[in-house]
Amino acid sequence: MVNNHNPYRVIRSKLVDIIDESPAIKTFTMEPEEEFSFKTGEFIQLAVDGYGEAPFTPSSSPYVKEKIEVTIMKAGYLTDKMHHFKGGEILGIRGPYGRGYPVETFYNQEVIILGGGCGLAPIRSLLYTLIEQKEKFQKVILCYGSRTPRDCIYKPMFGDLNKIEHFESYRSVDVADESWEGHVGVVTSLLDKIKFNLENSVVVVCGPPVMMKFGTFKLLELGFEPKNIYLSMEKNMSCGYGKCGHCMLGDTLVCKDGPVYTYEEIKNYDHIW
Amino acid sequence: MRSQFLLTRKHWDEAIFTFFNEFNVYAPIQKWDFIDYMLIDEKNLNAVIYNHPKPATPLKSFFLPVKQNVNLKQEKRDKIIMGVPACDLKGLELLDEIYLDKDLPDTVYQYQREHTILIGTDCHQILEHCHCTTYGTDPFPNSMQDLTLNSIDDMIILQSFTEKGEKLLSKINGYNKTTEPPQDILDTINQSRKSIVDELNQKNKLLPDYKETGNLVKHSNGTVWKKFAENCVSCGACATSCPTCTCFLFIDRPGFEKVRNIDACQFPGFERVAAGEDPLHLLINRFKNRYMCKYVLKTAKYNSIACTGCGRCIEACIGKINKNELFLELKEKEKV
Repeated sequence: MVNNHNPYRVIRSKLVDIIDESPAIKTFTMEPEEEFSFKTGEFIQLAVDGYGEAPFTPSSSPYVKEKIEVTIMKAGYLTDKMHHFKGGEILGIRGPYGRGYPVETFYNQEVIILGGGCGLAPIRSLLYTLIEQKEKFQKVILCYGSRTPRDCIYKPMFGDLNKIEHFESYRSVDVADESWEGHVGVVTSLLDKIKFNLENSVVVVCGPPVMMKFGTFKLLELGFEPKNIYLSMEKNMSCGYGKCGHCMLGDTLVCKDGPVYTYEEIKNYDHIW
Repeated sequence: MRSQFLLTRKHWDEAIFTFFNEFNVYAPIQKWDFIDYMLIDEKNLNAVIYNHPKPATPLKSFFLPVKQNVNLKQEKRDKIIMGVPACDLKGLELLDEIYLDKDLPDTVYQYQREHTILIGTDCHQILEHCHCTTYGTDPFPNSMQDLTLNSIDDMIILQSFTEKGEKLLSKINGYNKTTEPPQDILDTINQSRKSIVDELNQKNKLLPDYKETGNLVKHSNGTVWKKFAENCVSCGACATSCPTCTCFLFIDRPGFEKVRNIDACQFPGFERVAAGEDPLHLLINRFKNRYMCKYVLKTAKYNSIACTGCGRCIEACIGKINKNELFLELKEKEKV
């Protein structure tokens, strides 16, 4: 669903809050000057005036209309600029674009979520959506991995999730420090710790390409069917509405046919990771 | 809507002269050692070349210019583009399919398309790398044109195909819908078409057709690709000169303005994402990607073909990569 029909016009949005999530990741809260809504998993194009634009999936709840949050890792030209913002800046948003998480198809099933690094951003939006409809899912299990304990984002959220009936959350780190008492290992190793009903589960995976790749392979090993593995594919869309060609994935366009795909849909394409 | 009109070149030039009040008129003109679409005025009207194959730049440049600020107001004057060969018109089918899709049409492209009259033309000769018939495109217009124009001796034969074309014909002084070209002229056109088709078919008889090309690209191994990619310097000339390559990149300007720049999957970084991950990092992957896109992926996604056989990519390549030679080698490998 697109909020404005002129594909080149942005909705001006004031940056009202910046939260430091980790040394390299911040959450930016914006107030759009016009009505703006999205479904979980859909993405927006976020522009810094005269500087650049890039696609991000909101990390906030789609049920909150007046504000929108994006959680951004400092990874390049535009994100570096944004990490120097103090608040009060006017940003531009276009969209939302793409096909988000098909939450309705998860009803009456166990939802296992595998997140890595900044990939927890879209997942947080998904979690807010699942919480709103919590009685419709058998179980929701979040497995999240970060490189170190300091790199973990949304730290308070994990405790909050565990207080919700049928919701569980687990964390791992690749490299521990003296403060860490939890699981050490790649995020996929958490899958060996959790209990799930293979016959009635879907898995949502979001993280860096390498984590998505090995996460998917591990899930296949465990017996998950490709049609039950949902991946959030990352591409550098320029237009967001199926024209610029930057996000071709096989014969699909991530901006229109994704960014959420089942592994079944893309497993035969070249260069997916 | 198939009104026909026969008039002398002088009469047609006079008509074009009157079009200048209302339209910007473009047509192929010889400039230095190439022929390209140029803006026509009273001074160069006599130099317009009809029935010539592909001008140097593809027709897409009118609708997707190399650089365009998409937030600025669009040019108010409508355009007439004359002398458009069939390969360029065919290429526009894919552009329309992508840019005018019902869900999210591109408004700037749409405006340009709606405010342009296309006058297609038969090719009365073929150039070295022309191979349109190999991919099922005739060397004479049969889609997308508002009018067709044939210049035979000193006569101009116009035929309208759309309301826009009919409207333009009606502006010509002395136009009468019942004016039919004599049979001998129509016979000449048909004979010319047949002989050009025969010439193209004969010249390109060894080339695999569009479907076979797709299969060859999809199932081929790496050695041929490696050999040809060695001469690629990622300049993107093949994509820029291609009538169906449509990729672009937005560059932001102050005031949240966007400048659309033509882009190419041949450029390093085309698919690079945050933190530097890039599935097309290797040149050989980028090189093959363009062929995959044209002959396999776009074929699966769209109804229109993504290569019209114009051969501009062969002429534009500074590494002298000839895609037809590549396909012939792939075909040879297939046999082994």
